[in-house]
Amino acid sequence: MTQIEISDLAIKYRKPKSDEFIVAVGNANLSIEKGEFVTIVGSSGCGKSTLLMAVAGLVERSSGDIRIDGRSVEGPGPDRAMVFQDASLLPWRTVLGNVRFGLELQRWARDDITERAMRFIQMVGLGKYADYHPHQLSGGMRQRVNIARALAVDPQVLLMDEPFGALDAQTREVMGNELLRIWGRDRKTALFVTHDIDEAIFLADRVVVMGREPGHIKEVIKVDLPRPRDEDVLESDGFIALRHRLRKHLAQDMAAMRMIAEET
Amino acid sequence: MVSSTDKRVSDLRLRWPLARSATISLLSVLVFFALWQIAPALGWVNGRFTSQPSIVLAEAWREILSAAFWGHARISLIEFFIGFALSIALSLPLAALMVSSSVARYLIDPPLMALYIAPSLILLPILVIWLGIGVASKVAVVFLGAFFPIVVNTMAGMREVDTKLVVMAKSFGATKGRVFLRILVPAALPSLLTGVRLGVGRGVLGVVVGELYASQAGIGYQLATYGASMRIDLLLVYALVVSIFGYTLTELVRLLETKVGTWRPQ
Repeated sequence: MTQIEISDLAIKYRKPKSDEFIVAVGNANLSIEKGEFVTIVGSSGCGKSTLLMAVAGLVERSSGDIRIDGRSVEGPGPDRAMVFQDASLLPWRTVLGNVRFGLELQRWARDDITERAMRFIQMVGLGKYADYHPHQLSGGMRQRVNIARALAVDPQVLLMDEPFGALDAQTREVMGNELLRIWGRDRKTALFVTHDIDEAIFLADRVVVMGREPGHIKEVIKVDLPRPRDEDVLESDGFIALRHRLRKHLAQDMAAMRMIAEET
Repeated sequence: MVSSTDKRVSDLRLRWPLARSATISLLSVLVFFALWQIAPALGWVNGRFTSQPSIVLAEAWREILSAAFWGHARISLIEFFIGFALSIALSLPLAALMVSSSVARYLIDPPLMALYIAPSLILLPILVIWLGIGVASKVAVVFLGAFFPIVVNTMAGMREVDTKLVVMAKSFGATKGRVFLRILVPAALPSLLTGVRLGVGRGVLGVVVGELYASQAGIGYQLATYGASMRIDLLLVYALVVSIFGYTLTELVRLLETKVGTWRPQ
């Protein structure tokens, strides 16, 4: 069953104080099945985050359509939840308060909120930290709260915008594993943006490769690695072949960027 | 972690200078009161104009036990707190409006700044003409005194709000009203309290001067009455009452400020 249907999507911005337009995404088509984990990779400026924001309903599209379960996206909705790049936690609320936040906004029954929030805090392994404030937590812990907040509202689709981008390599690997473990419990449809090739392959059923100027989908690559996955997958032949293929794609973009840099 | 020996050393270093400065301060106050007490008795100054601490203390005690004092204090407190509550209640939406709309900011900012810088007491005669010599004109003058520091600080607090938090709230379906209540207000609360603290002095000044200028009751009214009859002792009692009130309230707000601001990283 198709859950997300992106057809002929284009997103343009007007440059500030001019009549020029920047095409962030030009004519993208992508269809995502229910329960599928799709990652989007591409070098910076390829419009991958903009595409995700459009699916979230936080960025207006210029033309084309995005449908979730057949309904056209008109702004944010409870069927989607977003995990942000920088955790975007409310600094004056505790971990519990932050996970409650989404539930409060979506008007869940008052009695269930705390219990439900606690369940998801425990799920991401922060049970002991429920009454800590964000500034008392490490970057990895903040991202766990970020993920718990999104999962708690029980979305159909989980949208993640480079959630581990600011973490160190070790924490990043741990978080990737954790995310797969949590995702494996009820396999919600997931759309995950990253610039890290290994991360993109490790998590995904399919990897979407995006290119620059204008942002477009270059290729969609199926990842046929068995689940559940752990670190050992990273050494497998299948993984290495996929990594090689993706590197080549992104290398072309890098070369193009280098040429632009030399011209200017 | 600080080891216990380190702690003891720093305690010792701190305790002595502190104790010494406290002793000197206390001594200077005692000397002042002693001089004040004996100077009129020895004929150095005219006691009619200076009074004496023993008399002031006795009058303070009598005044505090009298029903009349509390009646006047009640009027002043009502004027003060209504004016103050109004300035807090109005500064929140106005600050939010000015932060979220640049047109509103350009429109409101110049008159706001002009009124912030000018002493609001300039408007006192006009307020009395408009609102009479009763409670309303004092409420207005307290409002004008407290409003500007509160709104300017609240605005500064709201401007610091990370726009990413607003995007996050919107992604969970927050409406504009909920962004205001759940993001802007809590984020601005510590700065709002800073504004409240700065506004306390201006508000107290507004009540007292407003009542001094034209009123039928209140602490300022009492000051005017006792001033006319040259009761130095009672005038000093009221000066003491007003400064204790202002000081206590300022410290209470400061306490609240640090309590509310604990989530702020150092």
